[in-house]
Amino acid sequence: MTIDAVYILQLTLNGLALGLLYALIAVGLSLIFGVMEIINFAHGELLMLGAYAMTFALPVVGLLYWPALAAAILLVMLAGLLVYEILLARLRPDEFERSILITLGLSIILIHTVQYFFTATPRIVDTQYGFDGVEIGNIRITLTRLIGAAAALVAFAGLYSTLRFTQFGRAMRAIAQNREAALMVGIRPRVVARNAMVLAAGLCGLGGAALAPIQLVTPYMGQFLIFKAFALVTIGGLGNIPGAVVAAVVLGLLESVIGGFFASAWQEGSVFVVMIVALLLRPEGLFKRGGMRVG
Amino acid sequence: MKLAAALAAAAVFAVLPLLTSSNYVIGIGISALVFTTAAAALNLVYGFTGLLSFAQLGFWGIGGYAAALTVVGLGGSFWSGVVLAGVICGTIALVVGYPMLRTNRHAFVIATLTFALLATLIARDWVSLTRGPLGIPDLPAPEAFGRRFDTPRQFYWIAWAFAMAAIAFLFALCSSRIGRTLVAIKQNEPLVRAQGISPMPYKLAAFALSAAITGAAGGVYCFNLRIIDPTFLDFYYMQTFLIIVIIGGAGSFWGVIGAGIALSALPEALRFSEDLRMIIYGVILVVAMFVMPSGVAGWLRERRLARMREALR
Repeated sequence: MTIDAVYILQLTLNGLALGLLYALIAVGLSLIFGVMEIINFAHGELLMLGAYAMTFALPVVGLLYWPALAAAILLVMLAGLLVYEILLARLRPDEFERSILITLGLSIILIHTVQYFFTATPRIVDTQYGFDGVEIGNIRITLTRLIGAAAALVAFAGLYSTLRFTQFGRAMRAIAQNREAALMVGIRPRVVARNAMVLAAGLCGLGGAALAPIQLVTPYMGQFLIFKAFALVTIGGLGNIPGAVVAAVVLGLLESVIGGFFASAWQEGSVFVVMIVALLLRPEGLFKRGGMRVG
Repeated sequence: MKLAAALAAAAVFAVLPLLTSSNYVIGIGISALVFTTAAAALNLVYGFTGLLSFAQLGFWGIGGYAAALTVVGLGGSFWSGVVLAGVICGTIALVVGYPMLRTNRHAFVIATLTFALLATLIARDWVSLTRGPLGIPDLPAPEAFGRRFDTPRQFYWIAWAFAMAAIAFLFALCSSRIGRTLVAIKQNEPLVRAQGISPMPYKLAAFALSAAITGAAGGVYCFNLRIIDPTFLDFYYMQTFLIIVIIGGAGSFWGVIGAGIALSALPEALRFSEDLRMIIYGVILVVAMFVMPSGVAGWLRERRLARMREALR
């Protein structure tokens, strides 16, 4: 096979876009784990809700991209708040298995409720941008893909500055680093956990809404992404946000390049193979966990 | 007392084909036996050792494919297929279990989950081995001593014998010194280390044995379905095993067995609405985690303790 520079570049760009999307999900998972020590199995379903919200909001606002995106994010944040207040607030910090099983049950309920009302038929989402694209030399990227990647980057910058420079974010890092000490200086874990959940849900809503015009929307779209995101946060070290971002982007690139040259089975399987190898070498994750590190 | 009840239940299950002429009831009976066995195997890792393993789904599927391919691809018999399914799953569990068990319990859950998904992907995408989404149809009926176990009624005896052997083995294991060590690891691992017991070989053995039994159960079940395709690795099976263990009470041997028999009939009872069925499953899981976090067995145990405290007062 001749190696074509344009082809490689195309694969790289696709991989970057894919990786940023994975990172949106993985960062939310990492944040929730860091603050609450909970692995949220229903996280992919929040993404799916975001995509469906985008699907139904777009016709209402006349296919305008940004208002629909905002509506979807708000809706998913609200869903995150409800999930926290109704289910997760009742858990004690040491009930790890219980949290998994509860969020697993929630994920089953969400998937099948959406399927019940909107059927499992995949939906194609049209926006004001349609299939417009940007051409750079011989490479063509659709605008929706580009906006999705850009929005993800902006979201990371926003998350970074929130965690780094605001009291709101500092409280989250404090809880993640040392729960007892944070309590002692007057940080309320319940409020912080709620904020973290809503923030993570917002990131997920953004991911889902940005993904809706790029690929088909089905009730099961979140499930596959979430399992990959699980592998990513394990590789990056649970609760380690930069680790999750790096792992997500690298894995997105790897998948895209492998998908370009080998059979699709290798593309899907690569994440899992990398995870097993990474765990064998570094059981605590490649990027050692020391609380939730930001920068 | 419990053992007597269990033997009575085993006897009732043994004569079930003589009591009913309905193939539908026999079919549910086969599912109940196989699912209960798989749930008891999950109980060994989750309930006794405290390791929540989603890899069971992967072993269930790998076992099914191993048994089917032994018969169709290698021309072996059903029996060698089931044995090979158990051996292959146990070996894989030893290999992947070692790196997984070195991590903490949070990462272990995720690692086992991704293992199960990897198995699903392989079943779907490695077409030259598994024949991809089309699956392997028309699995032949098992044969022994010149008899063909062709009808569900005859196959029922195989499922019964398998379930009894596996459950008896698990019971012997769980009530032995090894079983008590596993419970100790679940309750306080540092203390186990302090007693001079290395937890790793015990955890690895529990994981591998549970994988072998789940794999063999998958092998038996796919010959009941007579076809195996990637839907055999549907997450639905994992949910069923988990709900049986949780409702029965993780760590309670007979609680899980009882729940397995009772709950295998549940999907059939809920069959009136295929769409609502899974929603109800999810609701049961969430509600059970809040109302009875330690299952029916745990709830009964707490009630007994409360009564004893009352009597002492």
